[in-house]
Amino acid sequence: MLIRRPSQRQKETFENSKLITKLQQKTTNEEAPALDYAIETTNLKKCFDSLLAVNNLNLKVQKNTIHGFLGPNGAGKTTTIKMIVGLLKPTSGSVKVFDKEVHVDDADSRLNIGYMSELPKFPKHLKGAELLDVYGRMYGMSQQERDQQIPRLIDLVGLKGRENDLIAKYSKGMQQRIGIAQALLSTPELVVLDEPSTGLDPVGMMEVRELVKTISKEGITVFLSSHLLFEVEQICDHVTIVNQGQILASDTLQNVANQLGPALMHIELVELTAEVIAAVKKVPNVVGTWKTGSTLMVQVNTYSDIRAQISQAATSAGGVIIGMSQKNAGLEDIFIQLVTKDHGGNPK
Amino acid sequence: MTMRAQNRRRPSWFTRFWAIVRYEMLWNIRKKKFIGILIIVFAIATLVLLIPVIGSRTTNVGITKNPDYAITFGGNAFVFLLLAIGTSVNTFSSEFESGTIVPLVSKPVSRSMIFMGKLFTTFMLLLLSYTILYGYITLASLGVYGPQSHLQYMPLIVLGSLLSTFIWVGLLFAAGCLTKNTMVTIIAAIGLFLALLIAGPIITVFSGPSQSLNYLPGTGATGSFIIGTNVTSVSAGTDNIGTNLVNYALYPSTYVDFYKTNLTAITQNETALPDAGLLYTQSTGSIAATGVIVGLAYTAGFLLVAWVAFKRSQIME
Repeated sequence: MLIRRPSQRQKETFENSKLITKLQQKTTNEEAPALDYAIETTNLKKCFDSLLAVNNLNLKVQKNTIHGFLGPNGAGKTTTIKMIVGLLKPTSGSVKVFDKEVHVDDADSRLNIGYMSELPKFPKHLKGAELLDVYGRMYGMSQQERDQQIPRLIDLVGLKGRENDLIAKYSKGMQQRIGIAQALLSTPELVVLDEPSTGLDPVGMMEVRELVKTISKEGITVFLSSHLLFEVEQICDHVTIVNQGQILASDTLQNVANQLGPALMHIELVELTAEVIAAVKKVPNVVGTWKTGSTLMVQVNTYSDIRAQISQAATSAGGVIIGMSQKNAGLEDIFIQLVTKDHGGNPK
Repeated sequence: MTMRAQNRRRPSWFTRFWAIVRYEMLWNIRKKKFIGILIIVFAIATLVLLIPVIGSRTTNVGITKNPDYAITFGGNAFVFLLLAIGTSVNTFSSEFESGTIVPLVSKPVSRSMIFMGKLFTTFMLLLLSYTILYGYITLASLGVYGPQSHLQYMPLIVLGSLLSTFIWVGLLFAAGCLTKNTMVTIIAAIGLFLALLIAGPIITVFSGPSQSLNYLPGTGATGSFIIGTNVTSVSAGTDNIGTNLVNYALYPSTYVDFYKTNLTAITQNETALPDAGLLYTQSTGSIAATGVIVGLAYTAGFLLVAWVAFKRSQIME
């Protein structure tokens, strides 16, 4: 009887499915008291005709954290966010914010949520300060509160001196800033930001990151979606990665990284020969190698520790190892691995 | 230190409603389109008042004094449509088109409240516009046609014009909420207006001033009544609600005669006057009541469609 050995691709797919299953189990098994969650979705599902945008999403966002929400385009991030803030009605499942179920058109459920959509658009005939004033009235803020809060926020988002200009005269970046200001206006317990750095210049992006950190220190839970992985890596302490409407991973950034294992190894040798490189390349789960001087960089796609196999392969090919270090997977590595694996493909 | 949202008192219904009105009012006041249309409406009114003056100057024939000019002016269908478009065409559709609907509906205000706030603002703007317009016409009439009588009934003209306009406002709201597209909304309103404008006279020629015309938005059936030696023409449709209310107030027990044109007589002998036959008579009270009821029914129907469409709309922007 002929038994075919699993190919490298099959092995990788197996490893990938194990990884995703492990992360998903961790996501669903990790229970915390309900009151510790700012956002909790249960089997959340949204269909647009035949398109399944969000598929049984069970998301938990702990209070007083900065939670990054990542996924490729069309992963269902914005649809999920719109259901969280009560703009879209779920096809099935539920959303709770601070343990209160969110319903579309339940105005009171939005009293404690600040929200900024991706590339927010505001009435162009209003002035910046006027916009905040009229929104403040909708939150029931008193005149005194508005008089205190609006100048503070204008200053905070860097629009001082431009608050009496019509929004029609604002650049895209300035509209983004006024968007952040209106999300923070009522000093809510939860701020939901959909791609807050889109349209901002590098300085603006840095300022937004600092702003998010500042508001988080005030005890506000921040839930933000972003395409900018370095941004999420710098400011978020929790992260959820979604694709095709499903959660691939959801945990603290460190835990997700730890579970993925070393993504990159640095092997320093006395002399780096072609034989050594060829031998290392043959080690299972090694997906790429490149050299920098006498250092061999090895990229692996498993969360298992394979340093021993690599060391053995290099030594058997005549290499003399003088140093070996590993770099934990960065968010970009994690994101690419999870998302490409979810599609059944190889990491790039 | 600013109060945290969870510690703040839940805002009252009125607070939130007034915030929406303020939001909408600022939008409307700064909307150049509305200002432009208001200028056109006032230009039309000025032209109508100036034509007799210019005619009188050129022919050296004095203007006949008319004490009822202001009270019977009553607006016209085109003005109603123009003002409805100016105030309402993009009340909902442009919120969707520009994406400003997203931050608005994410605030702690229900969609019904947004709808009511926008509707109330439109009502207030139209009330203000008509008050100024008819005030202007009254003052100008004093100069052109001499002292004016029955001015105590002017509020009926304003209210009637508001109702006539609100039929189109309702249609524009409904089309805006259903299509979320300003261009389609304008085409729907102007298309229906032109269709009714053309269909009305055609129906009248073939079937006479049928009462069924009064159940469509527009001019409706046309008749007349005689007081002394004065023949007063009456259009019983929704475009003349204000004037018909004044007719009822002035002549409560008068009946309006509706005649049918004899087409055969016209075709057989072009020089002969058409042989006319009385089709039916209707009291001024009945005409006014029918206009108000039909106007309210259309307005309520269109607004209901708009409200349901707005409440159920998916925020995809």
